[in-house]
Amino acid sequence: MEKFVALTASGIAFGAVLAIVALGFLVLYKATGVINFAHGDLVTLGAYIAVWAIKEHGLPTVLGYVVALVAMFGIGVLVERIAHAPLRRRPHMVVVIATLAAAIAIRGAVSVWQGSEPKSLPSPVGDEVVHILGAVVAYQRLLIIGVSALAVVGLIALFQRTAFGRQVRALAADPDTARLHGVRARSIAMVAFGMSATLAALAGILIAPLSAVDLNFGFNLMVLAFAAAVIGGFGSLEGVVAGSLVIGLTQQLVGGYVFPAYASTLPFVLLFLMIVVRPTGLVELERTRL
Amino acid sequence: MTDSTALDPPRSDADGTGGSTNGTGRPSTAGAGFDLGALFRRSTTPRPPVYGQHHFVTIGVFLVAVALIAPEIAQSRSDQFLVNLWLVYCITGIGFYWVFGLAGKFAFCQTFMMALGGFTSAYLTRPDGPNQPFLVGVAGAIAVTCVIALLLGLSVRRAQHFYFAIATLALESIGHTVFKEWTDFTGPNGTTVGVPPAKIGGTEFLQESEVFRLFLGALAIVLVLAALIERSPLRREAVAARDNLLVANVAGVRADRHQLTLLVLGSGLGGLSGALIAHWNGVIGIDSFGIDLAIGIFLMLLLGGSGSMWGPVLGAAFYVAVPDLLSGIERYSAMVYGLVLLVVVIAMPEGLVGAVRKGSGVVLRLVDQARGRPGTTAVPAVAVAGAGGGATAAGDGAGDPVGTGNGAGPAEAGPAQGGGDGAAG
Repeated sequence: MEKFVALTASGIAFGAVLAIVALGFLVLYKATGVINFAHGDLVTLGAYIAVWAIKEHGLPTVLGYVVALVAMFGIGVLVERIAHAPLRRRPHMVVVIATLAAAIAIRGAVSVWQGSEPKSLPSPVGDEVVHILGAVVAYQRLLIIGVSALAVVGLIALFQRTAFGRQVRALAADPDTARLHGVRARSIAMVAFGMSATLAALAGILIAPLSAVDLNFGFNLMVLAFAAAVIGGFGSLEGVVAGSLVIGLTQQLVGGYVFPAYASTLPFVLLFLMIVVRPTGLVELERTRL
Repeated sequence: MTDSTALDPPRSDADGTGGSTNGTGRPSTAGAGFDLGALFRRSTTPRPPVYGQHHFVTIGVFLVAVALIAPEIAQSRSDQFLVNLWLVYCITGIGFYWVFGLAGKFAFCQTFMMALGGFTSAYLTRPDGPNQPFLVGVAGAIAVTCVIALLLGLSVRRAQHFYFAIATLALESIGHTVFKEWTDFTGPNGTTVGVPPAKIGGTEFLQESEVFRLFLGALAIVLVLAALIERSPLRREAVAARDNLLVANVAGVRADRHQLTLLVLGSGLGGLSGALIAHWNGVIGIDSFGIDLAIGIFLMLLLGGSGSMWGPVLGAAFYVAVPDLLSGIERYSAMVYGLVLLVVVIAMPEGLVGAVRKGSGVVLRLVDQARGRPGTTAVPAVAVAGAGGGATAAGDGAGDPVGTGNGAGPAEAGPAQGGGDGAAG
């Protein structure tokens, strides 16, 4: 029982982080139609900025987090200016490759700046644990679940209730018509890149205290988040959250009980089978934009 | 075949001079010294225009040049190592060119195929195991990677673009864990040590200079294969399917089959290069085939240009040379790669080969303008030769997934040719 509770808690927490990562690139995909392969490296960069602010400049933990989130919004806009704006009229494939290039550049910049040694990020709740039904669960995991839930609710509200959300949904449904109706695609693209990078940083900051931050940290998360997005039917926010939880729980529970050595491959096996059986995702895409 | 030749533009258009010939009516004298093929063509049926790109001549010149120049430049052992690395990356890069450049499949699994090939060959030649000779190991590596690629291609054949990309990312990740855990096949911690050196007949390839000969020979075979594909209907139809699947299907192109063929062949080359790396280094570890190399292979193709078989050859040279050129500040190399790739994508969508082609087009146009003036007669021959050598696959302006619609100067006739290709299938 204790094992089950502990594994479930870490499964949900991991799924929640994946959901934030997945929502990050989904926001961007909805607003601009771009699949951003640099998203994983933005996760890494966000975590490193937090490490830098807290460890090297002695900022209080939460303030360091805020610095990282704000900085990443700016970096997201910068990425848009460099890797997206000049390629607006090019085929999507070109933009995707440009994001891959941005990923390489960001990764290179981080390795020059912070070296390739793994770093650790302090958490505002420290190493404290809570006992649930006899199982030991780190406070950090509860914090992850809480913050992620808030972020998801906030995003859904943003998309459903605000003018910005309506415009993004219009762009996702039909970019040309949306533009004809006066949706400012360019400024929305910039904001979407910024938001996406902020979400990436949030995910990185949340998960980093549970493990070490290194250069591949974000990329692996991104691939898992792709899996979550595909399983959840690419495009719907709720579906992506569900897909993330499925991935997190499968990895922890099946991996924890049945074959620990291969636990990390389970999401990928799931993803692969998913693509074999339903190559267009669980929910049919209305239109392919890539 | 005869149909397609009838549809295609005249030969001179296909070697990258199309843009300048059209309308200006360049006289035949400009290319007279160069067009040796015409002598042979006159007596036979009309040849497909793509034959006029002189692939085999270019390959011969390239191989001789490398065989003569590389040992001169690379005196030290570390330089020889880099040259060998370049050759072996060329092989995997050409394989990836087939998969990504021609079939248009966004595949992240080329490094997985390399690792698979390396481990297979290492296993087959293991002295305390099957103990097979080197060539059997390499053949086994190619066979296993081809079979796995075939299974992969069949199982995700309905997945398009992004879904294919993440399916291959998934395969790469699964493979990484499997190689790490399946120690009976690979070795402790996903590393096989003591791989015997390459040995063909009685000749052992131990020294870097000996390995160089082996790799150059392997690359020669691969280049000939690549040239055969380059001038085959397979390439033409695959490119048509990549650029417009619907139209190609309507025209009767069997896109699925072509993409599968190219995926299998390209992965086989990945396996070959992995096997060569294993026997060359004597050790193969899964950690050297991580995501860095996967992105690196993308980089080689995109930098060099994904519209020609020479793209990965150029790109691999760049990829191998950068850390060496930045000696002392190697840690900046990843950043340099990324920034250079960004610049290339934005400014030169057809990569270095495309830029060379564009440059030669500009030269040709200048030559055209200067034509008729006395004293310039020697220039055209040089310029045309440059175009023929550097721009082996010119005329496929539509043949680049990166730069579709942004055709370089000399490929102005490209879109038209691309259309012709689609119809010809």
